[in-house]
Amino acid sequence: MHIRKNKPWNLPESSATCEADFINRRRFLKAVGLGSSALLGQSLTHAATYGFPSKVNREFRADGLEPTDYDLIKGYNNFYEFSYDKGEVQDLANRGWQTEPWAIEIKGHIKRPQKIDVNELIKKAGGIEQRVYRFRCVEAWSMVIPWDGFQLSTLIDMVEPTEKARYLKFSTFFDPNSAPGQNGGSIDWPYVEGLTIEEAKNELSFLATGIYGKALPNQNGAPIRLVVPWKYGFKSIKSIVKIEFTNSRPMNTWQALQPREYGFYANVNPTVDHPRWSQATERIIGSGFLSKRKDTLMFNGYEEQVSHLYEGLNLKRNF
Amino acid sequence: MNPVARFLRKRWFIHLLLCTPLFYVFFPSLQNDTKYFADPAKYLLDYFGLTSTYLFVALSMITPLRKIFPKFAIAKSIAIHRRQIGVSVFIYALLHLLMYFAYTGSWSEFVKDWDKLFILSGIVGFTLLLGLAATSNNWSVRKLGGRNWKRIHRLAYLIMLLLIYHQATQEKTGYRETAKVFAPLILLQTVRIAIYGKYALKNRAKHDSTGSL
Repeated sequence: MHIRKNKPWNLPESSATCEADFINRRRFLKAVGLGSSALLGQSLTHAATYGFPSKVNREFRADGLEPTDYDLIKGYNNFYEFSYDKGEVQDLANRGWQTEPWAIEIKGHIKRPQKIDVNELIKKAGGIEQRVYRFRCVEAWSMVIPWDGFQLSTLIDMVEPTEKARYLKFSTFFDPNSAPGQNGGSIDWPYVEGLTIEEAKNELSFLATGIYGKALPNQNGAPIRLVVPWKYGFKSIKSIVKIEFTNSRPMNTWQALQPREYGFYANVNPTVDHPRWSQATERIIGSGFLSKRKDTLMFNGYEEQVSHLYEGLNLKRNF
Repeated sequence: MNPVARFLRKRWFIHLLLCTPLFYVFFPSLQNDTKYFADPAKYLLDYFGLTSTYLFVALSMITPLRKIFPKFAIAKSIAIHRRQIGVSVFIYALLHLLMYFAYTGSWSEFVKDWDKLFILSGIVGFTLLLGLAATSNNWSVRKLGGRNWKRIHRLAYLIMLLLIYHQATQEKTGYRETAKVFAPLILLQTVRIAIYGKYALKNRAKHDSTGSL
């Protein structure tokens, strides 16, 4: 007899706080504190919601991975389009920035260029599933995240790339009115990331539309984002509006900004340090004040799945 | 003397003021700040570092203010608390270092990154601060003699450069935050050098005077 044992992170739906209440909880407290209810009137945005509830894909869930607290995943965000302050993004990304409806443009060296609504795209891709991946930021901290979405290769098959397509170039939205961080700064907006087509076709490469079985919160890159778990977090570009199949290697935002510190590949590699800190170990988000660091794994623990992509490549130079 | 300047002479007030960042540190946990719970050691590391930096900038602005505006009563009042402010710069830097130790999690991790200029500038800066804090008492002034003591404490300028480097390298995109923090100090020092430098050159032979920070 097969007995299904629920993991601690597998909470029943009944125990979940209503999402609107959850997102508004601070606003409520603030409004009460300020003696004003003006802030409460703000509307809640909904990202791509098609396909939920998603099914857990147990193939993509390494043993012993304990997902990070939902609250921390939603409240500790690098999203410079809104703020440099990780604690501020949650608030700023939910002040009226609309992530629904949302269209993605897919173009370049492909047979079926198209502009498609995200929900429509999910439908065409055959729905969504849940995978639990490690997430390692270049700043030497890490989380474990249950992502909902579909494999990137599904999209690639859908649009039929030609032989000329060697790279995928992803672009984030550009809307300085909704995203205050896009007003100036040193970054050349919009944010751009890229993968080789072999990397993109790898079974791990994932387009996420949700976390913890719910549509992506705005601050986590709603409504659709890339997830490439063997690379540093900044490669997993958020809120994608355009995917271009190119022949030449795209220049990604961080490499353009600091070529000495960030490269094109950005594979998690404990033996190649950042110029300012070691990458050999990492802080585990949510583990408390006195917790020890965890050893960082080569390719973030996905060596088996991806190391063949980099055979013969000098990883020290191609960081 | 105006009432504000008189009030600022009160020791208890300055002590309270210098302690406020310590009380304030408990607020993020009360506010349920996710950044605090995500990685408390990192949060406190940044917090104490920035507090120490701000106090250092404030401290370093006192003398130029006094030189440029000799009759500015408020600057005169604050100037009598320089030692307290200096010691608190050291204490917050020490807390910053302790948080860095917690952040790295173990001794071997702690010493691993000292070959990186970013970390090294912090370690050297802290060591110099330790030296200044240790010789900040009256006994040391007497023991060393006023002139030697002043010479040693001019290391504060070196600390300033290390601090600017340390602060600037922790920024990921450009140096805007660092520029904001240090702009008033750099402006004051420039004006001071422009005004006082001329005067000092003229009078060097006469007084052989040594300026202080």
